Amino acid sequence: MDILFSPQLLFSALVLGALYALIALGLNLVYGTMRLLNIAHGDLVMIGAYAAFWLFTLTGISPLIGLPVIAVLTAGVGVALYSVLFRGQLEGTQSVAQLEANSLLLFFGISVVLQNVMALAFTASPRAYRHLDDVYHVAGVAMTGNRVATLLIAVLVLAGVVIFLKSTIYGLAVTALIQSRDAAKVVGINVSQVQVGSFALGFGVAGIAGALISMAEQISPFMGFPFTIAAFVVIILGGLGNIAGGIIAGVLLGFIEIYAVALTSATYRSILLYGIFVGVLLIRPQGLFGKTRGG
Amino acid sequence: MKEITRNWPFLGCLLVLAGAGIATPHLFGAYWTLVALNLAMWIALTQSWTLFSGMTGYISLGHVVFYGIGAYVVVATFKTVPLWISVPMGGVVAALFALIVALPVLRVRGPYFVILTFGVAELVKFIILNIETGLGKSSRLLFGAPGAQTLLYVMICLAIAASGLTLFAKVSRFGRGLTAIREDETAAETVGIPVARYKVIAFAASAAIPGMVGGLMALRSTYFEVLQVFNPIVSFTIVTMAIIGGSGDARGPLFGAAFMVGLSELLWANAPRLYMILLGLFLVGFVVFAPSGLVGLLARRGRETSA
Repeated sequence: MDILFSPQLLFSALVLGALYALIALGLNLVYGTMRLLNIAHGDLVMIGAYAAFWLFTLTGISPLIGLPVIAVLTAGVGVALYSVLFRGQLEGTQSVAQLEANSLLLFFGISVVLQNVMALAFTASPRAYRHLDDVYHVAGVAMTGNRVATLLIAVLVLAGVVIFLKSTIYGLAVTALIQSRDAAKVVGINVSQVQVGSFALGFGVAGIAGALISMAEQISPFMGFPFTIAAFVVIILGGLGNIAGGIIAGVLLGFIEIYAVALTSATYRSILLYGIFVGVLLIRPQGLFGKTRGG
Repeated sequence: MKEITRNWPFLGCLLVLAGAGIATPHLFGAYWTLVALNLAMWIALTQSWTLFSGMTGYISLGHVVFYGIGAYVVVATFKTVPLWISVPMGGVVAALFALIVALPVLRVRGPYFVILTFGVAELVKFIILNIETGLGKSSRLLFGAPGAQTLLYVMICLAIAASGLTLFAKVSRFGRGLTAIREDETAAETVGIPVARYKVIAFAASAAIPGMVGGLMALRSTYFEVLQVFNPIVSFTIVTMAIIGGSGDARGPLFGAAFMVGLSELLWANAPRLYMILLGLFLVGFVVFAPSGLVGLLARRGRETSA
């Protein structure tokens, strides 16, 4: 039982939880505002990771410095996808159920294309680079510089996005759209503008998460899928479209995963993840904290 | 019965396909036998998917779970239970599994249902993986499995059975009930359609044949590895074929499977990445530009030329 009180475990859980919260945030924004189920979300994390890898390997620039560029890149992918595919879908599709089903299929197609284009361009073999991997010992916790940076930046970005959503007029428009699309239109919110913004913000944050992950983990064209699943678990736990709930659920999942694996064995990790996933959907599909939107 | 005979072009097409499949091993040799086996497999899988998901609108993204369970039954009982029992048993176990999970799973609607089916499939995959690791078997080899020709003939029977089942469901009272569920489940319930029972029956029926297909394909590869057999790509490919073909009735899967198997024959050996990229692009293209699939496109072309 001593293991439960190990500060090392606490640190790992915080880092993983912050990353899950960050990745799920983007997924939640896109679902919340548009009802699009983005099962390609993890692939944007992958693209962010590759961008960081090439930036560092080719120019030696730290991914931490390059974060804004990487975020703009993945946000650009989001804006492009919105303009080419999803604007039409959102305008042309009448029922929400149809839209959700179509978006799932479309994003699946996009996911397959992104993964295989990346594999074609950069081979399917995993890659890694060494950056900020000196080990520091603080209060009995061994931590590498890149994990500390991951935790700090993830928390900063999460806080930044939450403050942005709570306090700017644009952020309030996003929240309004999550709560009620029709009412948002009635009060004169430029829905199309908010939608493209949500795509850019959600995909940009995914890119940042990818860049952070690439500093400490191996990257490959197929790395994104487990993150997509984790992000879905998180936003379902937190309530689809519930931004604050999603952040809490992200941290919670990080803790559950790290502690459960420490108590049992790493072989149960996937069973655990999918077990929670299926369990929550069956027992409480509205999530632990319910939805912020009505109906 | 009259409604079934009205579908004579479809039935004729099916018979011609089956005849061509039966003749393939004698006329074109080993390679084309495997291609025909592949085609029959995807037709059987996609028809089964259409029987449930195409008709009710509940999109299952986890059909590989039935395929995998069937394969596992055949592999686990290999050499202890004769194949003519174990392959149908694979179908029965898959259908039973569907029955057991149906009640909780089918309460969930819309996007939750879609990701739930996927989650269930992955959960079963990892549980079986842990069982196999616990037994100390990372993979199993099957020696003395029947040859490709035998498997092809059985697979053709399954493809015909699945097509017949979907066609029958489409024209029956049962099928109209399922379509009503797709259009508006609450309304369907109000007018007295036994919604829950219909959904559960359709779900179990759409699991049985994939279970048997999985058993046959395990015999075909003579090799069983959990991650490969329960690969979610199988589920995704089924959905893609159904969408490309047109998921409304029994004709769609024939077109969708033929199209994708043809594409994979052209590309898979030399350019697997390109095949996957095209698969993704076709899926996106059909969802956006031709939601009624190849069947819809051909029907429109037919109307335009006759008009």
